[in-house]
Amino acid sequence: MILAEKDRKSEEDALEKMTKMRHAIETVDLNIYYGDHHVIKGVNLAIPEKVVFAIMGPSGCGKSTMLRAFNRLLELNESTRIEGDVRVFGKSIFKMNPIEVRRTVGMVFQHPNPFPHMSIYDNVALGLKLNKLVKDRKELDKIVEWALRKAALWDEVENKLHKPASALSGGQQQRLCIARVVAMKPKVILMDEPTSNLDPISTKKIEELIYELKKELTVVIVTHSPAQAARVSDYVAFLYLGRLVEVGSTVDMFENPKEKLTEEYLTGRMG
Amino acid sequence: MVDSLKVRLFKEKLFLAGIAVLTVSTVLPLFHIMFSIAANGVPVLIKGGWGFITGTLAPPGGGLGGIGPAIVGTFILTVLASLMGLPVAVLTGIYAAEYPNSLIGRATKTLLMVMMEFPTILVGLFVMDIVVIPMGSYSAIAGALSLAIVMMPYVAVYTDEALRNIPQKYREGAFALGLTRFKVVFRVLIGLARKGIMTGILIGIAKVAGETAPLLFTAGGATRVYFAGLNRPVGAIPLLIYQLVQQPYTNYHEIAWGASLLLMLIFLAIFLPIRLSLKEVKL
Repeated sequence: MILAEKDRKSEEDALEKMTKMRHAIETVDLNIYYGDHHVIKGVNLAIPEKVVFAIMGPSGCGKSTMLRAFNRLLELNESTRIEGDVRVFGKSIFKMNPIEVRRTVGMVFQHPNPFPHMSIYDNVALGLKLNKLVKDRKELDKIVEWALRKAALWDEVENKLHKPASALSGGQQQRLCIARVVAMKPKVILMDEPTSNLDPISTKKIEELIYELKKELTVVIVTHSPAQAARVSDYVAFLYLGRLVEVGSTVDMFENPKEKLTEEYLTGRMG
Repeated sequence: MVDSLKVRLFKEKLFLAGIAVLTVSTVLPLFHIMFSIAANGVPVLIKGGWGFITGTLAPPGGGLGGIGPAIVGTFILTVLASLMGLPVAVLTGIYAAEYPNSLIGRATKTLLMVMMEFPTILVGLFVMDIVVIPMGSYSAIAGALSLAIVMMPYVAVYTDEALRNIPQKYREGAFALGLTRFKVVFRVLIGLARKGIMTGILIGIAKVAGETAPLLFTAGGATRVYFAGLNRPVGAIPLLIYQLVQQPYTNYHEIAWGASLLLMLIFLAIFLPIRLSLKEVKL
């Protein structure tokens, strides 16, 4: 009997592990403070693997802050304090080395930030080279091309790989940043309002790219635009004043929001 | 009341004239210095010719000779001081920029500010005490060490500022790639800040190339021997000027004018490129 109980217990453990495994990112009672300012208030969120997960909400609701907690970038700012847990594929990121976390969970920022003093090639190659992820120049060349193709930028930069990255347009720079992240082969990519500084055509390209990316990895995108969330995401979470108001499949939430706040936000009466 | 506009226009003109007068009186001494150095120095350089740059000092009362040893000395001292001072200074600047809120970081920043304004003659005294007296002789090493100490705060502060001026998005971008702090700083941020850091380095070099006080008790001076070894006294143009002007011989005063012109030209040769390159610094 004892044995049987033990078996059941381990089976349960395995099951629990599996359900956890299916989540790319999971937050447990996540609280974030900037000094005395309580920014994120007890958020529990589970983000499934290989989907596009949008976090939407009005400006200042804490979306970007929460996103920065997922790859431990928030810790660069000494005045922040994080309580609760964030798990990446079941593993607490606070028990991992921040460098390991950031290689698994890549990030694309609101302002395109390719390193302006480096060439297009070097921008993509940098992470690979400095993290010693490639054997030789040949392999590096191959991955750089692969990443630039993934980011739908190869055709535009093929002939000027060694020109400075700062010469590209804003939209191209943002796709270069995506290539830079993709080259590291992360399992999750965080995107912090990646199109808020781009024109509609560049925005469309990035959104199509996001759709392609989810075949292989998980994309968590922060946006203040419900329209964008509706266009690109499979799941969506609505964050308001640091609290998670509602989370669910995008279709459900847009067609049939359960919370009044969500409805007001989606219909443009608030936000 | 009808005249109020006229009165105001008059006041405006008076005000502008006042500013113009003040500006001229500020800039005038500088031009006066440059003019008198040129006016007195150019004839000396023409008279002395190439020999003035390569030769050794003439005897008192007899011709010009040259200031070769002082030029060689200034070169040696500046290079040596750079070798000693620049690596430490750049690393100090990086530390201050990377750990701005730590106790040591804040202390470093404050100390650098104090060091920048520190009377340089005290640096000379300090080095005399720890190097010259134990060694029993003035030396190139002692002079260079003094200059390195004078140079460091400038370079460190410029490095610190240059790194702090890098927009946060580049720091975050580098960290987000999973780079270690060491690599973020040395492989990404230094490159972004290179213009600011180079400016600091050149300002530091220009500053010490013209320094006299830290050399008084350390370098010793040399007028007839170009270079006798790092542990032997060495000349320097500013030091030579200081020494020559104190002499009662008119030919020495002439040489001092010539040396001053050369010093000014060397200073401008370092400083003008800095000013020009500063214009293109943008992030």
